[in-house]
Amino acid sequence: MRPRPVTALVLANLKRQLRDKVGMFFIVVMPFVTIVFVGMALGGDAADAKLPVAVVADTSDPVSAAVVAELESDKALDVRRAQSAEEVRDDVRQGDLAAGLIVTPGDTSLELVMTQTSGSGMAARSAVDVAVGRVAAVLEATRAARAAGASPQQADSYVSKAKEESVAVTVASSGGDEPSRPTGFAYTAPANLLLFTFVNSMAVAAALVESRRIGMVRRSLAAPVRRGQVLLGEALSRFAVALAQSLLIIVASRVLFDVRWGDPLGVGVVVALFCLIATGAAMLVGALVRSPQQAPAIGPPVGIVLGMLGGCLWPREVAGETLSTIGYLFPHSWAMDALLTLSRPSTGLGSVLVEAGVLAGMAVVVLGVALVVFQRRALVAV
Amino acid sequence: MTPALVCERLVKRYGDKTVVDRVGFHIDEGEAYGLLGPNGAGKTTTISMLVGLLRPDEGSVRVGGIDVDEDPVAAKRLIGYVPQEIALYPELTARENLRYFGRLHGLPRRELASRIGEVLDLVGLSGRGDDKVGTYSGGMKRRTNIAVALLHRPRLLILDEPTVGVDPQSRVAILDRVEALVGEGMSLLYTSHYMEEVERVCTRVGIIDQGRVVADGSKRELVAELGGTDRVELTLDGDVTAAAEKLRTVEGVSEAVVTGSSSIRLLVAGGRHLLPALLSAVGDTGAVTGVEVVEPDLEAAFLHLTGSTLRD
Ligand SMILES: Nc1ncnc2c1ncn2[C@@H]1O[C@H](COP(=O)(O)OP(=O)(O)OP(=O)(O)O)[C@@H](O)[C@H]1O
Ligand SMILES: [Mg+2]
Repeated sequence: MRPRPVTALVLANLKRQLRDKVGMFFIVVMPFVTIVFVGMALGGDAADAKLPVAVVADTSDPVSAAVVAELESDKALDVRRAQSAEEVRDDVRQGDLAAGLIVTPGDTSLELVMTQTSGSGMAARSAVDVAVGRVAAVLEATRAARAAGASPQQADSYVSKAKEESVAVTVASSGGDEPSRPTGFAYTAPANLLLFTFVNSMAVAAALVESRRIGMVRRSLAAPVRRGQVLLGEALSRFAVALAQSLLIIVASRVLFDVRWGDPLGVGVVVALFCLIATGAAMLVGALVRSPQQAPAIGPPVGIVLGMLGGCLWPREVAGETLSTIGYLFPHSWAMDALLTLSRPSTGLGSVLVEAGVLAGMAVVVLGVALVVFQRRALVAV
Repeated sequence: MTPALVCERLVKRYGDKTVVDRVGFHIDEGEAYGLLGPNGAGKTTTISMLVGLLRPDEGSVRVGGIDVDEDPVAAKRLIGYVPQEIALYPELTARENLRYFGRLHGLPRRELASRIGEVLDLVGLSGRGDDKVGTYSGGMKRRTNIAVALLHRPRLLILDEPTVGVDPQSRVAILDRVEALVGEGMSLLYTSHYMEEVERVCTRVGIIDQGRVVADGSKRELVAELGGTDRVELTLDGDVTAAAEKLRTVEGVSEAVVTGSSSIRLLVAGGRHLLPALLSAVGDTGAVTGVEVVEPDLEAAFLHLTGSTLRD
């Protein structure tokens, strides 16, 4: 295959892209606006960026005291004591607090006060969940030991020994005092990379529909080229834009926000596979849609919903188990898991082989279907 | 010499509708051939098969002796195709569009640069080559549309209604260019809704109607088929449909079609002698305000063969 027709098509399409001012705004400016806003809301890694959380609790109650102690040991939280539930609710409503926790002695349920829409509230909630989970585990273990016949003192010493060991294990596997889930920019940068790469690919599909509508695809096929060359050129054009979008976010977030992406090979493979999937989705929309107005109406909303399911808008834990499971039908969840894993120290491509494999499979299917459909419909008037 | 184009018994069906029905014609080297037909006759579908965009259900196409189905890339190298629609990237300049298509055609870099200048000159756009096509007038876009097809010096130029939506000045400029190219030895396939364009540019004409070529020959041959039939253009104030109805009953009138809100076109054997009969047939359906008797011409031949006018 002579490469020239393919490069001709890619060059022409990239030039068109660069001249699309609105499109370029969404590729160059929007991702960073989002990364900064959501990143600040979720809290950065710096000490002064801790999430303010207030607790109303009677610490003479051992369970309440344990929960508070757990929360205070979380480096991402700034735990304050408050006097009344009313005071906490007011502060949360006014945005002075990321969340508030009200522990009633003798009651097994805790009340968490947060506003649904705030990213910091979500982050605080998962921290509280972790703390409460640990205390609950200790309580459960104590009860189990007692039920098995141990005296209260014995049970306590077993459990605290087990707890020390489990903490030791956790510390070893997560590498120092890294938080178990990255917060701040370390989370929003990969989340928005996936979100914007996909959404903008879907938006770029409009240019392909336009090419079909004005007869450019048809006319290009009337030149002495093979169908496959035109197909490849159109696909490569979308892939180049997706890849450029990803690279821009990776490099700029590294330079501006000091985001560590991790092993270059691993990140490169995951991002490239994700870009291939985005390319396939764009080609599919570009081939199926009937008018250039439909492409932006359908594509980006679909991209946003998939991003939402995949944890690109807020941490997936927050969305609940069902939605989180549904998310694994789509590439975002897998890519998000892979990128978060890679951002931890001493990980590499080997740590994300499953995710990369699933993404590769998805890329093959989506691209294959897209190319077949495009081949069939390239000449169909829109 | 191998003909520039030979197509034989081309058939294209969409569902159970036969859109192109055993179409066949040939264009000799250096010949200008016009394909005339009303809307939906199958001109564009036929051309799509000639340029290798659409695979015929039956039949064959040879361009310069090369079978389009067997070696589409080699055949397409010989063709300069100007589609009916303006197929140019509006965000790019004329020069950038030309560069894109030149690369698709595999023109070497240096030759491409000089050819871009030449074709822009040829269509009279050298001064505006660096402006985005989206900012052009309809006529300028049409001319750029044609320039693209000339870049690689094709042996056969195929123009599908190249003057639609063009101002009269640009139209004249386009026709002049096309005539000059034919004069230089380029073969031409030209379709148009404008009879006078085809009469001016083409030496041979095929008339296509409902997917079939119903006649094919030089203008003189087509007109001769009419025998002594004249074309009569009637203008009147009144009910043109009713008037046409009545006129059809007059002995010697073979066709009577409404061509506008106050005009009727007739084919009449021995036109002049029948004028009184025509006027009395119109009777009280309207007041005749004008009568023109035209010697047999292509327009009359078209009406005779298809029972319709070229422009609806
Ligand atoms: N893809 C298609 N599917 C179904 N029918 C089609 C398709 N393409 C064309 N047709 C039909 O085939 C017929 C011939 O169309 P074509 O465009 O070839 O006519 P044309 O002579 O070029 O008309 P015009 O002068 O309006 O350009 C029309 O009735 C059209 O509706
Ligand atoms: Mg047509």
